[in-house]
Amino acid sequence: MVFSFIVIPLLVAAFLPLVGKFSKKLLPDVLTNAALAFLVFNAILLVKPIFNQGVIVQNLNWLGERVNLQVALDGFNLFMLFTISLVSLCISLFSIDYLEHYGHKSTFYALFLVMIAGMNGLVLVPDLFSVYLFLEVAAVASYALVAFGLGYDELEASFKYLMLSVVASAFALLSITVIFGMTGSLNFQAVAQGLQDLQARLVLGVCVAFFIMGFGLKAALVPFHAWLPDAHPSAPAPISAMLSGLLIKVSGIYALFRIIYSVIGLTPALSQLLMALGTISMVVAALLALGQKDIKRMLAYSSISQVGYIVLGLALGTPLGIAGALFHLFNHAVAKGLLFLNSGSIQHITGTRNLEELGGLGKMVPVTAGTNLVGALSIAGVPPLAGFWSKLIIIMALIQAKQFGYALVAILASILTLWYYLLIQRKAFFGRVAEKWSQVKEAPFWMSAANVVLALVCILVGIFFTPIFKTWISPAAEALARGIQQVLMWGL
Amino acid sequence: MSNLWFLYLFFAALLVFIGLYCLLTMRNLIKLFIAVEVISKGVSLAIVATGAVKNNILLAQSLAITYVVVEVALVATALALIINIYKKNKSLDVRLLSKLKG
Amino acid sequence: MAIQIILLCGLVIFSALAILLKDLIKAALSLAVASLLLGIIFFRLAAPYAAVFEISVVAGLITVLFILTIALTKKGDEVTEARLVKLAFPVFLILFLVIDGLVMKSLLQKIPALPAGPEAGTFGEVLWKQRTFDLVAQVGVILAGVLAVLALFRKKEEDKDE
Repeated sequence: MVFSFIVIPLLVAAFLPLVGKFSKKLLPDVLTNAALAFLVFNAILLVKPIFNQGVIVQNLNWLGERVNLQVALDGFNLFMLFTISLVSLCISLFSIDYLEHYGHKSTFYALFLVMIAGMNGLVLVPDLFSVYLFLEVAAVASYALVAFGLGYDELEASFKYLMLSVVASAFALLSITVIFGMTGSLNFQAVAQGLQDLQARLVLGVCVAFFIMGFGLKAALVPFHAWLPDAHPSAPAPISAMLSGLLIKVSGIYALFRIIYSVIGLTPALSQLLMALGTISMVVAALLALGQKDIKRMLAYSSISQVGYIVLGLALGTPLGIAGALFHLFNHAVAKGLLFLNSGSIQHITGTRNLEELGGLGKMVPVTAGTNLVGALSIAGVPPLAGFWSKLIIIMALIQAKQFGYALVAILASILTLWYYLLIQRKAFFGRVAEKWSQVKEAPFWMSAANVVLALVCILVGIFFTPIFKTWISPAAEALARGIQQVLMWGL
Repeated sequence: MSNLWFLYLFFAALLVFIGLYCLLTMRNLIKLFIAVEVISKGVSLAIVATGAVKNNILLAQSLAITYVVVEVALVATALALIINIYKKNKSLDVRLLSKLKG
Repeated sequence: MAIQIILLCGLVIFSALAILLKDLIKAALSLAVASLLLGIIFFRLAAPYAAVFEISVVAGLITVLFILTIALTKKGDEVTEARLVKLAFPVFLILFLVIDGLVMKSLLQKIPALPAGPEAGTFGEVLWKQRTFDLVAQVGVILAGVLAVLALFRKKEEDKDE
């Protein structure tokens, strides 16, 4: 049942504040994790039907009346749904212990679930205006979550994030309105067909520019990235993991490329522009990350840089490039989620995130140090971890398409990535134990458990790379590539 | 009626411009949010006018109503944030919000 | 048509006032007037339901929220704006006006009209049967807004200091 991906989180979120009156901690924990575990299970169950049928379109009847609750599920959506459910399950496991000192767990979980419902909805709808709406659902929840600590930095970051993000979505909506005016429809397929008959390339170009501006701001591509290094580090660690791991990808990259691939069509000029944007983000953010003292700020810059890789692969538009980019999207969601959760563990253990003060924690907290190493190496692209394969595929795709310059930059940027991750590892975990950290203890059980699960995913996906690539990534990439083919055949 | 489309979008763009100008230059937090409201007026004018000019008014109307609902949720969240910020530093000046640097 | 253009100009003027006036209460009120004018424009565009929402919710509810916030943040809100900003505004506005007029006319006039033909059904049917998904999303947005306000105005159970 595809529709449950939206309804179940919303229902649970609506009941959580009431439940929170009776049970402050236990019941919200159990309910949230059960709901998310159910979604992961549901996503796994859907693999087989998608494999057999290709696309599922489900219409819901309500009390016998036919209403238009249409969801369309293909390989790409399912892949995104699975990523969202899996990472958010681990994050909510982590929150069980981490949220102890924030209080008001039920409100936190409710907002968390609304955000997940928004992202799932965004992934499932085949309609431009609904894309905007679910974007806004996830965004409103995320403003509150960034400010959840109610400290000075949190509020400031959240306000900046809100201002920029509202402007971004206003531009996306204006562009949607103009497209609606030109074609008289909002459904992806109908719009794509309507645009095919129109001779209005200039207006369409303006619309695309607005889309890139709006969704690029949500995805924090480099000219539009200013809010991210404030907003992501200020949030509580699970929410940083959520924002960096999932929200920028779903509301930025997914929305942008879904619209480009299924509605507008990827022209060579557009492809060049997006590849350039991706490369710039990749390099600039990696250089900025090197100078950071705060672990979470460094991780935030690293997110921008890795988003650059994903955009580069998707903008290339060849099947191999798309597959590599999607695989990197999954790997980055898992590994960056893991690293942000780890930074939360470090903060929980020591009370600081400043790299200069940390040192030699490795002997005291072997689990945190180990999982951190796995996540860092996976993002940096060290074999045999998962991140290596995805970067390799993206670079191979670039070479295959004869884009040698971009391939070279991608390789160089991945060396930079390795450098600053080793910097974190060396400053925080290796070396001499500073006097004041000699008494620290390992993080609580659920926090370590969530980290271990995510680290295991990194390792296992790397080892069983071939079957996973065949069953998960290829159908998703095929679904996307089919979209391009169709739109291209219509002659745009 | 179709040639009127550009007229309405002209005014919508004007509203968006006024809002953006204010967002980029002003310092008062509440002023900044009023600017966001001006932008969203431009957007809802664009939605309804597009529907009216292109014979899709019923659809456009339901979109505009949905947009109003989104606006209310945003306003509530943003004003709650502003009040919280005011409680912390007793001022609405955006220049005091520069502890974090991009 | 002339009435419509007058209304649109009024909308722009009041919006500009809303950002230029120094007194926040007056700014919020001129924003409300702008909403009112927008509502009338909607009504004249044969969108009565959207007009009602615009007037009651945006001109009413949102203005009340703004004034409430302004009242709650009364002390020490003397934020000085740069003088240059207000002086430069008309210049930029006229500049944009010219560009906007030229661009819009040349871009949009070439777009062919859609095949005419009135829409089927009534407004209620369109909202409930065609855009049902939007209603689900609306529930989500409202839930998010309510929870956000709950989260931001909660009492801290214990003080966490960093």
